[in-house]
Amino acid sequence: MSEIVLDKLTKRYGDGYEAVKGADFTVADGEFFILVGPSGCGKSTLLNMIVGLEDITSGELRVDDEVINDVDPKDRNMAMVFQSYAIYPHMTVRDNIAFPLKIKKVPKEEIAKRVDEAAELLELTEHLDRKPVHLSGGQRQRVAMGRAIVREPAAFLMDEPLSNLDAKLRVQMRTVLARLQQRLGTTTVYVTHDQTEAMTLGDRVAVMRRGEVQQVGTPKELYNDPANLFVAGFIGSPAMNLLPAELDGGTVKLPMVDVELPADIRERIGDRASGRHLIAGIRPEHFEDAALVGDPDAPGVTFKAPIDVIEWMGAELYVHFTVEGSAHEELRELAEDLETVGLGPTDEAQIVARLDIHSEAKEGQDTELWLDTRKVLLFDADSGENLTREAAAPATADGS
Amino acid sequence: MATTGSTAKRTPVDSFVWALGTIVVVVYALVPIVWLVSLSLKPADKLNDGKFFSGSPTMENYRTIFKDPQFKHALVNSIGIALIATVLAVVLAMFAAYAIVRLEFPGKKLVLSGALAIAMFPPVAIIGPLFNMWRALHLFDTWAGLIIPYMTFTLPLAIWTLSAFFREIPWDLDKAARVDGATPFQAFRQVIAPLAAPGVFTSAILVFIFAWNDFLFAASLTSTNRARTVPAAIAFFTGSSQFDFPAGSIAAASVVVTIPIIVMVLIFQRRIVAGLTSGAVKG
Ligand SMILES: Nc1ncnc2c1ncn2[C@@H]1O[C@H](COP(=O)(O)OP(=O)(O)OP(=O)(O)O)[C@@H](O)[C@H]1O
Ligand SMILES: [Mg+2]
Repeated sequence: MSEIVLDKLTKRYGDGYEAVKGADFTVADGEFFILVGPSGCGKSTLLNMIVGLEDITSGELRVDDEVINDVDPKDRNMAMVFQSYAIYPHMTVRDNIAFPLKIKKVPKEEIAKRVDEAAELLELTEHLDRKPVHLSGGQRQRVAMGRAIVREPAAFLMDEPLSNLDAKLRVQMRTVLARLQQRLGTTTVYVTHDQTEAMTLGDRVAVMRRGEVQQVGTPKELYNDPANLFVAGFIGSPAMNLLPAELDGGTVKLPMVDVELPADIRERIGDRASGRHLIAGIRPEHFEDAALVGDPDAPGVTFKAPIDVIEWMGAELYVHFTVEGSAHEELRELAEDLETVGLGPTDEAQIVARLDIHSEAKEGQDTELWLDTRKVLLFDADSGENLTREAAAPATADGS
Repeated sequence: MATTGSTAKRTPVDSFVWALGTIVVVVYALVPIVWLVSLSLKPADKLNDGKFFSGSPTMENYRTIFKDPQFKHALVNSIGIALIATVLAVVLAMFAAYAIVRLEFPGKKLVLSGALAIAMFPPVAIIGPLFNMWRALHLFDTWAGLIIPYMTFTLPLAIWTLSAFFREIPWDLDKAARVDGATPFQAFRQVIAPLAAPGVFTSAILVFIFAWNDFLFAASLTSTNRARTVPAAIAFFTGSSQFDFPAGSIAAASVVVTIPIIVMVLIFQRRIVAGLTSGAVKG
């Protein structure tokens, strides 16, 4: 049980590369906290700094108000689950799970009891006397978990523990993990590059890009009110549609239609947008088939979209169409960071819309679509800042 | 059907060729040894009868060599020198290989290529200078005088084998052990050492065999029973008369010196289990 405070943590590697730049947030006691971001953004580095496997270049790391920058990993009482599992191959499952307790010289009966409990919790009881070589990926993963939970540590640190599992097992283990964490109530910092995992597991999520924390918040906050373009593009699947835009008074000119902004949004933007390149962000679910709009009072605009691909997913329907409009430099960089397929030709933008399953849209035909004007987000193309943000302070990281 | 890979089913012709090949190789390798054993069991008067099994085997030759104080001394010298050289070389090589695999330091490539260069250096080229140096340093005809060159010439091999093995160890395990509460030494002792053991045993066997079999240094750098090892001692065997070549004794001595090597390989081959580290990580 403990609260972990990261106070402007910075990590510079031997070769001068700054892998983490001023990470500054607090992980509350008992919280399931997620670090998410694309590959190479410094998630593992930050986690290793917390657990003590990497030195802290500058800044302070505090656990329950005690500075632990220079405490040896063995004395931090934190348990870590590695991406590679790092199970000891020459020991049986039982010995693996018991290892931290044996090191701590816990009495034998106590060890046996706690190992049995952990094994039962993770459904490993029948495998206790087997060697890891013969276990499946999911079982190995659970052994690694078992070694962490027997210790009753101050915090769990997990570095992409599910990324080596196949898709189905990953979803299963996700639930197991969430339940386990709830039941034990242990502070957990969890690293992943999968935004779905981050959104489903986390109490709060920190989004990182190139060593910098972009935003810290609950999954809902990140989804509905992203601090900047990067968070907007990273969170959500399918991703938010990003289009070049121009603001003229209260009207946003999008490539396919002009949108009249509601008054409260106009107010939020103020005059910050004047003279800037803008990018509009619209989530797929904020489109609808114009014929099927449920709420007739909802403010929206309609336009004709040349549908080229339709994906029918059973419970939902995705339509794709292309509009003209040159992609800004920032968008291309973003696509690189997000490891998306790319934006296609530079003078076109691909749009995905989620429609009611009863939509009559057909591939190769123009369809009348509706767009919810209350949900259009506007970003400063150069700084990436979300100009329509609800949260008062437009800071990049919100402290705690 | 067409056999493309080694896993494909073999046709009878294939099997026949394989069996024939195997027999040829085994016979080729074993005949000299069988002959050596048979020679060592022959009584002196039948040594030259040219038969593999001449009947009436005798332990006479073995009794002779073990009565010879020279051979007993040589055996003790051989065992002592080879063991000490092995332990020293392997321990030093472990430190070196660990540093090479785990740490970044300037001159790392130089150490590796330097080691390789030493391994390729012909020992016979340094025998002359070494002889003079050892006499000046009073190392001539001592255990240390042999242990030092054995260690030097086997270190490169040991460093290369050990670093190959160490590279295979998932070093995340070391970190995991540290996070699990182990001190650096405990992590090494309980997690890394057991995984490194096969590599250590492999290089130990190689070093031991080199030191045990060496004739060149042993013959040049010793002169008495103080440090002369078995391969050198055999050369000094004399028959009952000056003109009598002691073939029986030499054969018996050769069989005796082969036994420790066989025993060592048999003991340690069970430890050299490839894939001991599998299962630590998914893969
Ligand atoms: N020992 C090191 N020396 C120098 N640079 C390093 C070192 N370790 C990592 N880096 C760099 O630091 C950056 C962050 O690495 P890190 O492993 O934390 O990324 P990550 O977010 O965990 O990525 P992934 O999702 O691929 O695991 C990378 O650009 C990497 O090249
Ligand atoms: Mg990582």
